Amino acid sequence: MSMCRAFGATLAVPSVALVLAAAGAGATASEISVNVDRSQIRTQLGHTFVFRTTVANHASSTTGSLIAHLNVLSLREGVEVDPEDWSTHRTRYIGTIPAGGSRTITWKVHAINTGRIALYVAVLPQAGLTRPPTTGRTVQLVVAERNTLNSGGILPLVLGIPSLLGLIAGGLQLARRRR
Amino acid sequence: MAASARTMSKRHRRGWAIVGEQELRDLWLGGRGLLLALAFSVLVSVIAYLTATNQALNFLEQRESVNLTLQVAIAMGSLLALLAAADAVSGERERSTLESLLLTPVSRLDLTGGKLVAALSLWLAAFVITIPYVWFLGRGIDLVADAVITGVVVGTLLAVFLASLGIVISIFANSNRVSLSVSLFLLLAIFAPTQLPSSAQKGWAGELLLRVNPLTAGEHYAGKILVNGHSWSEDISWLISPIVAAAVFSAIAAIVGARCIRLGRGATE
Repeated sequence: MSMCRAFGATLAVPSVALVLAAAGAGATASEISVNVDRSQIRTQLGHTFVFRTTVANHASSTTGSLIAHLNVLSLREGVEVDPEDWSTHRTRYIGTIPAGGSRTITWKVHAINTGRIALYVAVLPQAGLTRPPTTGRTVQLVVAERNTLNSGGILPLVLGIPSLLGLIAGGLQLARRRR
Repeated sequence: MAASARTMSKRHRRGWAIVGEQELRDLWLGGRGLLLALAFSVLVSVIAYLTATNQALNFLEQRESVNLTLQVAIAMGSLLALLAAADAVSGERERSTLESLLLTPVSRLDLTGGKLVAALSLWLAAFVITIPYVWFLGRGIDLVADAVITGVVVGTLLAVFLASLGIVISIFANSNRVSLSVSLFLLLAIFAPTQLPSSAQKGWAGELLLRVNPLTAGEHYAGKILVNGHSWSEDISWLISPIVAAAVFSAIAAIVGARCIRLGRGATE
């Protein structure tokens, strides 16, 4: 655990590891894993939530420099999701991981659209791009509708203040002409 | 000596107060101030309505909607103060009323002070107009008091800075058109960093640019308090450039106003 360096926060390595592919020099296939601390998240529109991924190197040698990237997509057809809106810091350059070591990355995400959303993290080497990326388990996100603003009540205000000022300006103009 | 200084001080206070009163009368009873206030209220109404109704704009949180409305109000209120100040001397010169103004028994420093007060009244009016919108958008989350205090502090500093800048430009400008054009150009230059992509605002150079620019620094400070819920002192260093700009430019306006207001164009005659 002493080799585990956290980005934002440290978390214990989850028990279930998704081992998919190799990444970087020194590591071979099935020796890099990406573990996600949550498989399902329920939140509301506009809320911010956090989840963590741990990238572990199970090989006996140090990996090359690695990059972790967060992807966001809607599971419902026709809903456009712009990942940039969801997280401003989606690409993390995590560097090398020593043999048996791990890095924990904290992802801060802002729920922008309602519905069923999928999040996943892909880890790929900075060198050796012909290899496929290693991805973690998909986080299923359910974003519920939320109304924080009372839009109906604002109409009298947005119409009333300019009208009042208009009346005062008009009245003043009229008074000046009469004088 | 002290009595003489007190008399001088009273005379100065009376002088700028008289000029200020006359300027305020011209601005507000003449109708120009009310028309600008009306235009401002229409703009703030549109912004407030959009933030309150259109969730597709990503203004999902009440805090963000309050912050956006307040920032627009600060920016536009300061712009109004700048426009009024940019007309202060060059406008009088162009309307051929500067000569009679210079013949009045008040010092040129008093003239400058009175005109600055009148220009700042537009900011004050703009802020008063903004309060009901801020109250509506921020009610229920204990944000109204913070928004009002932040708006007063940041907005007044920026308004003093921009109005002083406008007066300095107006004193040296050959015509009112030049004065307004230069003022608007400078205002756009000051606003430009707000349009930079977020990636360009990162790193030491990006942060330095945001900190040095009084407008971006002031709005950053307001955003940190209103959106992120920071304490007043946590980001206080972001207020350095608005404070310095307000102090330096008001001093420059006072010095230039006292020494350089001339009847002829370009402050040379």
